[in-house]
Parts: sequence; C-alpha cells; structure tokens
Amino acid sequence: MHELSMTTQIVDSVLEEAKKQDAKRVTEVHLVIGKLTFLGIEQVRFAYNILVKDTIMKGSKLIVEEKGGVIECPSCGYKGAIPCEDDPTYHVPIPTLRCPKCGKSAKILEGKECTIRSIKMLK
Amino acid sequence: MKGEEVTLEIEPGTDIMEVNKQLAKKNIELLRKHNVTAIDIMGSIGAGKTSLIEKLVQMLKKRYRIAVFKGDLTTTIDAERIGRHGVKVVTINTGLECHLDANVVSKAVERISLQDIDLLFIENVGNLICPAEFPLGTEKRLVIVSVTEGPYMVVKHPFTFMTADVTVINKKDLADIMKVDTEQLKKQVKEIKPNMKVAVTNALTGEGVEELIEALEL
Repeated sequence: MHELSMTTQIVDSVLEEAKKQDAKRVTEVHLVIGKLTFLGIEQVRFAYNILVKDTIMKGSKLIVEEKGGVIECPSCGYKGAIPCEDDPTYHVPIPTLRCPKCGKSAKILEGKECTIRSIKMLK
Repeated sequence: MKGEEVTLEIEPGTDIMEVNKQLAKKNIELLRKHNVTAIDIMGSIGAGKTSLIEKLVQMLKKRYRIAVFKGDLTTTIDAERIGRHGVKVVTINTGLECHLDANVVSKAVERISLQDIDLLFIENVGNLICPAEFPLGTEKRLVIVSVTEGPYMVVKHPFTFMTADVTVINKKDLADIMKVDTEQLKKQVKEIKPNMKVAVTNALTGEGVEELIEALEL
C-alpha cells in the first residue's frame, strides 16, 4: 500500500549509510519484510528500481526476505506462528490472534517490521 | 570502477516503521501526562465515523471536555458537523494521503491546549486498510464497519481488526434490507480477536451507542 514512500525511506537510509562509509557503489541490499505489514513485495521492487536510477545504488540487487507472523499469548505464554482459522461461512482461511492453546487473545510479536538487514557496497 | 566489496550488516536492523512508532510513543506519553484519553476511529468511507463521533460527543460532553481531530482529504465539511456540538475541532487535511500518521497528529496536538480537555477523538481518513499500519499514539483504536458495506468486510481485513480494541457494526437498522447478519459479523470479529469488544449501533438514532461508551470504558 505505501510501497513508494516506504521504499523511498529505505533507499534514503541506504544512501546515507553508503555516504558514511564513503562507498563508491552499493551492489546489494537485503531487506526483511514482515508478512503482517501491508507491503507488497512486487510493488517494493518496482519502486526500488525507479528510485535507485540516478544514484550509486543503480543496478544493485535487492534481496527481500519475508518473515512470517509470530504471536505470543500473555495469558498462557504460548509463542508460535500466527494461526489461521477456516471461516465456516465462506470457507476462507482467516488469520487470527486466538491463542491455539488457551483460546484467549494473543499479541503480535513478529511480522510487522520492515528492516534493512545488510548492505553490500564497493569502497 | 573496481573496489573492495564490503558487506555491512545492520544490527539489529533499521526498522523503516520505527519513525512512526517512536512518534506515536511520544504522542501517547504527552497525552497521558495531561490525563487525556485519545481514541483513534478508523473505518471505510461512509461507514459512519463522523455520525458516530457526533453521537458520542452529544452523549459525553457533559461528563468530559472533548476535542476532535478530523482527518479529511480536502474539506472541512465534517469538522463543521462536529463543531456544531460545541467542541473544539481541528481539521487535519491530508491532501492526497490515505491515512493519518503520528507526525500529523503531533502537529494537531500543538494546536490545542491539552490541559483544557479530557477526551480526544481522532477521526482517521476514510479507509479500512492503510490507517491500521500507522499507530497514532492513542489509548484505544476503534474500527467501525457498516452493514451497507456488505458481508465480507471483516473476513477481508483481518489485520485491520487485529489492531483495534473495539469494533462497531453500524447501520443496524439496514441489516435486513442489506441481507447482512450482524451476529455473523460479530462472530467473525471475535474469531480474529477473542477479547475484542463489539457494539452494534445505529449512529444516527444513538441506538447501541450507550453500549459502545461502556466498551470504551468511558
């Protein structure tokens, strides 16, 4: 949904880091995108290629690693992948915060992040 | 241009979402310092956000000193509607942006005196998706859906409901005409988040709004 503005921030952060390191070129950027964000990877790639055009990031490889959602239950301590329930009315899988162990509401622990894991650059 | 290739590991990683999260934290800290309870109101275009706020303001203004932030793309129509009830309204025109974020809310906070209010309703831009990604720094988040949006609003947007504390199912008077079962919607919301509080309302008449006020612990 906000791929362009998010990718702009990503590119800006990478360029800032590259400047700090006195790099001549950036050759690779490794991103981690949580599955519980509203970011489409295809759209991130699309925006990335446009944004890096006139920068030292031009031609750099973009690696996107997807990270699944993890929940933690404050009531019973359960921790694990976000479960999906089948909705009996429409038979679609719906992700749920219902703790599979005790049935109470769990909290999202992982999956809402969008982070730069590493950058490869030429000095 | 040959050079030494260096891999820079960024630990623990720069979270691009972090900027908004930090600003949201600042907002809630400032509001708490002044004992102001803020509630973010999210929902699609036409779900009844403004009508609901009007009713909440009418029913609560004797007990609380209320201000309303009104996210709107370009106009002040809604601000005028709410302003008629004698509460302070700040319009946040987002231009083309489809959601409010913690930064624009912090700017709006500067335009009111927090010591003069107890309760702040923040009406987000009409959109059931984007606002969910951007916490504003409120005590509670409310999401409102109406039966005129059809029967699939909940199952199609589970992540939006996960970020909310209270759900309002509005326009209950039209449920039969729309062939939408409000009990079914309620069940789906509870399936996504068992501790969700749900109120079924008609925001125009005020039916169910008393239950909502209870759900909001106001």
